[in-house]
Amino acid sequence: MSVIEKETVIKGPGRALISDKVRSHANDPFFVKKNAEAKEALSKIDLSGLKKK
Amino acid sequence: MNLPHYAYFTKNNYRDYEFYSEGPRGKVKKVVMFTKMQDDPLIYNLAFGDEDPETGVVSDLAITDNKDTGIVLATVANTINDFCDRYGNHYIFATGSTLARTRLYQINISAVLDEISIDFEILGSRDGVLHAFQKNVNYDSLLIKRK
Repeated sequence: MSVIEKETVIKGPGRALISDKVRSHANDPFFVKKNAEAKEALSKIDLSGLKKK
Repeated sequence: MNLPHYAYFTKNNYRDYEFYSEGPRGKVKKVVMFTKMQDDPLIYNLAFGDEDPETGVVSDLAITDNKDTGIVLATVANTINDFCDRYGNHYIFATGSTLARTRLYQINISAVLDEISIDFEILGSRDGVLHAFQKNVNYDSLLIKRK
């Protein structure tokens, strides 16, 4: 199978470009739901080994 | 980290990121967001999904099938680097929307584990217990921390 070289793929270290076109999703229902699910999943994990001593 | 990735963009808050997956299904906008979950240990959640170009609705249930999962995940890993540059090296929680997707992410991480492990500590959670990430082991979720 041939490999397609994508012009948009960057090789090497990455760095985000700041753009005012990127909108905040802080109140997006999808992310609100994902964060609630993550909180519930985290609550079931023993994190005691990660806490500051 | 030198894995092939897409160009990616952020707001000046370094919590919201966007990039475009490209492949047989065309261009698909991917949206990444980091959200603080808790203190001690300080943990942020990494969530990402596809944004519908017409409605702007974000979802992670669609199967993009753009044959570029490795490049997409490498781009997400790069956003972690930018996020940590701004907010510090804290634990970042990540899980797939389904068990199958979590497994897919693990397979892709396993393929580049040596490269990723240079910069990141990766822990896998299984039945509520954290373990150092190992290839060919299924985890419920991941905790990632830049070294």
